[in-house]
Amino acid sequence: MLESLAIGFSAFGDPMVWFALVFGALAGYLIGAIPGLGPSLGVALLIPFTYGVDPVVSIVGLVALYAAAEYGGAITAILINSPGTAAAVATSWDGYPLTQQGRTGEALTVSILSSGAGIFMATLLLIVTAVPLSEFALRFGPGEYFALALVGLSLVAGLSEGSPLKGTVAMGIGLALATIGLDVQTGTPRFTMGNPEFFEGLPLVPVLLGLYALSEVLFMIEDGPSEKLKSTPIGGLLALPVKSILGLKTAILRSSVLGYAIGVIPGAGASIASFVSYAVSKRMSKTPETFGKGSLEGVASSEAANNSAVAGALAPLLALGIPGSPTTAIMIGALMVQGIQPGPLLFTKSPEIPYTVFVSLWVGVPVMVLIGLAGARIWAKVANIPRPAIAAIVAGICYVGAYASHTTMFPVHVMTVFGVLGYILRKLEIPLAPIILALVLGEMMETNFRRALISNKGEWDIFYTSPMTMILITIAVLAFVLPGLSQLRARRAKAQAL
Amino acid sequence: MAITHLKKLALGVAGAVALTLGAAQGAMAEDWAPEGPVNMILHTKPGGGVDVYSRTLAKELEPIIGQSIVVVNAPGGGGATQMAKIRASEPDGLTLGVNTVTHLTGMQTNLRGTFSPDDFEWIALSQIDPILFFVSKESELNSITDMVELAKSNGGEVNIAGFGPVGSMQNIGMSMLEKAAGVKFNWVAHQSTPDIIAAVLGGHMDVGVSNLGPALEFFEAGRLKGLGVLGDDRLSTLPDMQTFGEQGYDVDTSWLQIRGVFGPKGMPLDLQQQIADAIHKAMASDSYQTYARAAGVQDSDYGPEEYSAFIKQMSTVAEEQLKAAGIIN
Repeated sequence: MLESLAIGFSAFGDPMVWFALVFGALAGYLIGAIPGLGPSLGVALLIPFTYGVDPVVSIVGLVALYAAAEYGGAITAILINSPGTAAAVATSWDGYPLTQQGRTGEALTVSILSSGAGIFMATLLLIVTAVPLSEFALRFGPGEYFALALVGLSLVAGLSEGSPLKGTVAMGIGLALATIGLDVQTGTPRFTMGNPEFFEGLPLVPVLLGLYALSEVLFMIEDGPSEKLKSTPIGGLLALPVKSILGLKTAILRSSVLGYAIGVIPGAGASIASFVSYAVSKRMSKTPETFGKGSLEGVASSEAANNSAVAGALAPLLALGIPGSPTTAIMIGALMVQGIQPGPLLFTKSPEIPYTVFVSLWVGVPVMVLIGLAGARIWAKVANIPRPAIAAIVAGICYVGAYASHTTMFPVHVMTVFGVLGYILRKLEIPLAPIILALVLGEMMETNFRRALISNKGEWDIFYTSPMTMILITIAVLAFVLPGLSQLRARRAKAQAL
Repeated sequence: MAITHLKKLALGVAGAVALTLGAAQGAMAEDWAPEGPVNMILHTKPGGGVDVYSRTLAKELEPIIGQSIVVVNAPGGGGATQMAKIRASEPDGLTLGVNTVTHLTGMQTNLRGTFSPDDFEWIALSQIDPILFFVSKESELNSITDMVELAKSNGGEVNIAGFGPVGSMQNIGMSMLEKAAGVKFNWVAHQSTPDIIAAVLGGHMDVGVSNLGPALEFFEAGRLKGLGVLGDDRLSTLPDMQTFGEQGYDVDTSWLQIRGVFGPKGMPLDLQQQIADAIHKAMASDSYQTYARAAGVQDSDYGPEEYSAFIKQMSTVAEEQLKAAGIIN
């Protein structure tokens, strides 16, 4: 393992890798700080820039962007009570009160240092769990993979924001879209309308650019120029006494471990990690009454957790090839563009990829902290960039990126259609994350389901004779049914109360 | 290991000398000197085997022809996107494409009626890459004969994991073996070679199919065991693995994975020959040879005439096999 880590460190002898790291971190901060643009959109927008780039360089840039975007959301959350990402909502609960009390600098310093600490520790956990997980994953046959994909999907539908029904509808849309293309076992065209362009299924990158980025552009056009937000002067940056940082170490440590564990679970992600860690910290705190009124402990818990969840979400992606979050589902697309197949053999076949990711997460910590602290004033102003300018830039990247993916107009049309579709779905409050995950996991589910049956003479017992498959399918069914049941119960309780 | 390396080196040098001689002969005719940058269009995304091959070749080809080569990735439609671009281009040698067997099987199946081998000129064959069947080292199977016996004894219940759906290059290779051995196997389609290797290592599939390159390090680490290779000769890297023929199965050994260069119909034969000579000269370079040996592929020096005949032969085999399998009629 040390030898492999050395491979990871040696990648940083290449100045291009450093460039990718700094560029990814800067772009991530920028995207995270702009409310509405999040890590998923950021990673999707960066993919077109990686086409001709060395795989190691591009993965470092993507991971840096992912981590920095999760952090960037905290800056606007603290300064102007406008969380840049969903995962920074819990940060704003205490961060903004701190700003109102004139303790902005303290809040920013704590949030940046906790984020850094969160990533550092979560990466340690990632290294010790992902590698054994990848060896263990060889025991996963088609039945197990099918069940695992099912778990991911059911958790997404259940955990998605808003109503479980709408989450299920979104999942259904994603699954239906996943059936387009040549049948993987027989080669029969499905829903291709006689057009060979659809043979390989919907091209993932244009779909992502459309759903996440172009739809956001349409919203920006609709909203028109935004009002200028008042940014407050930042005082007391880095003026935090060492003692109060040390006082936060338990909260940071606990939230990092919790955030990592939640990040590993498919479907749960940075936002759930930060909410749960915040709640746990509040319950275990000696001063729970300060939470929500400007508690440094609250800021530290939320930020340590949402950043360690990034490392957590990378574990199933690298070791199993199963994306655990919408952003990692997009990263699968980015890796495949490079001809890299995430999965159990990644650690044997291309160790430079996972180990460079590990090392880059570590190396990225000081870089991120530095950029974050030095640029805090700039990031706060980013939220004030005129919307029309952002919309124009994002739309430009979408169109050029889609064209460059195939050098034909087909992906451009796909991107446009999905941009409009994304806009309509968001108007209907149907979440987009389950669509993307279902699109990626749907193909995995179908191929493994059929492989399982074909390799077992068409007998269904393959799905219940393996204990691991059984357990996973049970979890999936529960995750799918429980949210609906609890809602039903809540409604009945309400009816009785009336 | 050292011996195989030496052997490879000797072969490489011999090849280089032969190729240089060939190029010298070609020089008397006239060297390929395109008037502008050459577009080399691929049917795959960046990063895969075809992409690496094309970029390595292009880098060595540029100084020979004195022009830059633009590698264009045009994935989609099982090669349809790329073939449409090439068919629509001028036959002036400034637009070329890289092809594999997928182009030929595609023209017989999903793209039948849309594209045919006659729409193009087949200029040069550059790599050949035989397919091999392998098992995990824990497997009880040790040869193709063991695999055939197992299929006979339990009615075709040998799960073979290979790349692509029924009718793909590797699937046709399996069907040819089925026919020669008089048995049936169970084809389980996979979408990537690492998936196939993982399924075999984990004991979820009985036998895997692959080219040498992606499986090489698992053979070197002793985690995989070869059953047989579909080719005329044994592989120099895995000298213990017998060919299908040695084990008594008469299977057409021209059924190989290939990488070659093709262009639009109507390109003058002289120009095609010049392009082929330049490509084979570029392949003799050190950096190309290093890449090709590491990728586990073999070199070919087929020019336009031999390559066109080869493509015709492969298309016929593909059509026969797909008909026999009931995939087309």
